[in-house]
Amino acid sequence: MPEISHTWLPLLYLYGVGGIFFLIGMIIIKKSKAIDLTKKRHRYWYKVLIFGYFYFVAFHIIFTLIAIYW
Amino acid sequence: METTSSNIQTTFHSIGSSTDWIVMIVYFIAIMLFGSYFGKYNRSTKDFFFGGRRFAWWLIAFSIVATGVGSHSFVKYSAKGFEYGFSSTMTYINDWFFIPLFLFGWLPIIVYTKVRSIPEYFEKRFSPSARFLATLLLLLYMIGYIGIGFLTLGKAVIPMLPESFELLGMQLDVTLMGAIMVIAVITGIYITFGGQTAVIFTDLLQGFVLLFAGFLLFFLGISYLGGFDTFWNLLPTAWKLPLADLTKPPDFNFVGIFWQDGVAGSVGFLFMNMGLIMRFMATKSVDEGRKAATFNILFMLPLSAVVVGNAGWIGKALSISNPELVPPTTSPDQIFVVVANIVALPGVFGFIMAALTAALMSTVDTLINATAAIYINDIYRPLEKLFRKGKEEKQQRIKDKRELAAARWASAVITALGVVSVLAFKSFPTVYEAHGYFHSTLTPPLVIAIFLGIFWKKFTPSAVISTFVGGVALMILGLHDANLITPFAHGIEMNHAHPYSYIRAFYNLFVCGAVAVIVTYSTSLQEGLVAKMRRKSNHKQISYALIAVAIAIFALVLFNVGTFIFQFIGVVIMTSAVAIATTYTVKYDPIAQTEGLTVWSLAKAKEMFKGSKVNDEEGELIKVEWKMKEGDDDIANFSKNDMAKMKANVGDLVYICDARKIYGGLKSVHSVFGEPHEEDGIVMLNNEHLLNGVFVEGKTVTAEMEM
Repeated sequence: MPEISHTWLPLLYLYGVGGIFFLIGMIIIKKSKAIDLTKKRHRYWYKVLIFGYFYFVAFHIIFTLIAIYW
Repeated sequence: METTSSNIQTTFHSIGSSTDWIVMIVYFIAIMLFGSYFGKYNRSTKDFFFGGRRFAWWLIAFSIVATGVGSHSFVKYSAKGFEYGFSSTMTYINDWFFIPLFLFGWLPIIVYTKVRSIPEYFEKRFSPSARFLATLLLLLYMIGYIGIGFLTLGKAVIPMLPESFELLGMQLDVTLMGAIMVIAVITGIYITFGGQTAVIFTDLLQGFVLLFAGFLLFFLGISYLGGFDTFWNLLPTAWKLPLADLTKPPDFNFVGIFWQDGVAGSVGFLFMNMGLIMRFMATKSVDEGRKAATFNILFMLPLSAVVVGNAGWIGKALSISNPELVPPTTSPDQIFVVVANIVALPGVFGFIMAALTAALMSTVDTLINATAAIYINDIYRPLEKLFRKGKEEKQQRIKDKRELAAARWASAVITALGVVSVLAFKSFPTVYEAHGYFHSTLTPPLVIAIFLGIFWKKFTPSAVISTFVGGVALMILGLHDANLITPFAHGIEMNHAHPYSYIRAFYNLFVCGAVAVIVTYSTSLQEGLVAKMRRKSNHKQISYALIAVAIAIFALVLFNVGTFIFQFIGVVIMTSAVAIATTYTVKYDPIAQTEGLTVWSLAKAKEMFKGSKVNDEEGELIKVEWKMKEGDDDIANFSKNDMAKMKANVGDLVYICDARKIYGGLKSVHSVFGEPHEEDGIVMLNNEHLLNGVFVEGKTVTAEMEM
């Protein structure tokens, strides 16, 4: 079994620190009305942005599990 | 096959057969002819650099593959895949964090403000002096990037070349720099006569070829090893993990690469890479640009990660199952070529190598094209304006022709400078480390300046210039004494030959960010000092003295004169002097110079782009036939009914495109709705529209209201 510093810690760091940058970005574009949630097209993009974050989280979790247990 | 062994690494020469070389040469000629065909779509520098803002998202998304894959090359990721396994993919899968700010901040700003280059943005947002410094830094960045591209290309072809050859009775050694010079000549010729439209279409073709070649190599490798199970079981568990160890080893650790690539690199790639930005600007609208970027990051980058790294993974498995065939000591930068030669038949190997080198050339081409755009916009035009002051330009076409010629000459000179810059990166053990060090060192000041410029209205010209000068000086201190970086290193061990290649990015971003924030928050203090200064009779002389002091201190830091404490105090004094001198000299209107130029006023940017109130209604896309009309005004006339379907008003913007989707917007034009006529299903276009849109008689076009 590889050390935790090679398995889950990098993942936590990536989506924790990276997540802070992502969250700041989402707050800025929402507060500045760069993304206007009254518009249908922008609501679609808002969902895409959130989906993208969790898509990559899931990607790394799945591949870490496969590496360890398969 | 000839091999030579150094103490640590085994290197290869003369890999491949004459069939492979024939396949490569045929591939290159075909690609060049393909690109040259699209050169005819360049009617001005606008087309040469931006492709005329006309393309569909899918065309740009696929054309970006070759640029992305090329720049994050087969060579360097195969090298890290060979040394450390699947974690070679991590840099392809960490770009999402800055996507909200890119899609809804930077992308609409650059499109709607019609800036032709990043430095132009700095002039509009801050001042001409900020533009000048940004141009210098950006040119360094772009030329360095071209150098990395050439270095990778050189390393890719060297294993295929003999150690030496005979020409006219002379024995000539094949050297890395020699190979790079030959490659540079070929690259320079292509880009000089192609332009952005040619690059987009060549990249589109190469994007497909590249993905095919990468997966072909993967499947050939797996079958050579005896199936996926054998491959999987040969690899140690640590090789299968998708992320590297948090802090070790110094040449490949997660934290360092996160800050170097995930933060500085991602922001640099999305916000600063003019080559990529110009691609997005070539899409027909901001929304199409968003689609292209999203599709690329969600789907194409993960696929690309497999395409570029798999030769290293196969190489690792081969080095375990057959260490005589692939010695574990094989030079990592050569592993791609070595593996491709083992698993592919003659001819197929040539095809894979052609796809690899052509993709790298695409990256270099894009960068050369982008750097030429910076030269034309930020050096040539301002200088021309200065020297031709008062002389009216008689014909736009003559001016365009002259600029196009200047752009071609600039491309040639930039190619040469790119070759020279290779010398700075040659000493690194792998291309990966050279690229990492390059990113960590050159991107932070511009990353901070662009980022705060877009998202922070309070960010002032004195803060941005102080970041460029004071931030860079603090970065240089970190270069002189790597111990400064240790508190930021998360416990990563220092490699004394190349200290903190990656995590240095964290330190550099921190110091640049700190200078930017401190100087911005001390604006009222600076203004108070400047007011006092102005009350003195010799205020001009004082400002000159401040600039002279700053230059002198910067030189002392650059050439490492004096102790660390002496230099550090010098940097503080210098940064203060720069901030005060900038506040004194730059006329800055914080309202006018942020309107439409930050994320907080995008609606205004859109209005400025259109030139009148924006029509946000969503109308239909209609199909019409075109008829020619007299005149050269940029007006397209539709029937009343057609305009109603599109929910368009006179003065709104319209995008007219050949209805055949396969062209992806190549045959299209932007115009303005004119007064309506009565003939439904007909659009009246003038000769200039037809020439720009390259419309074909009898072929239907689509039309949609843009805004």
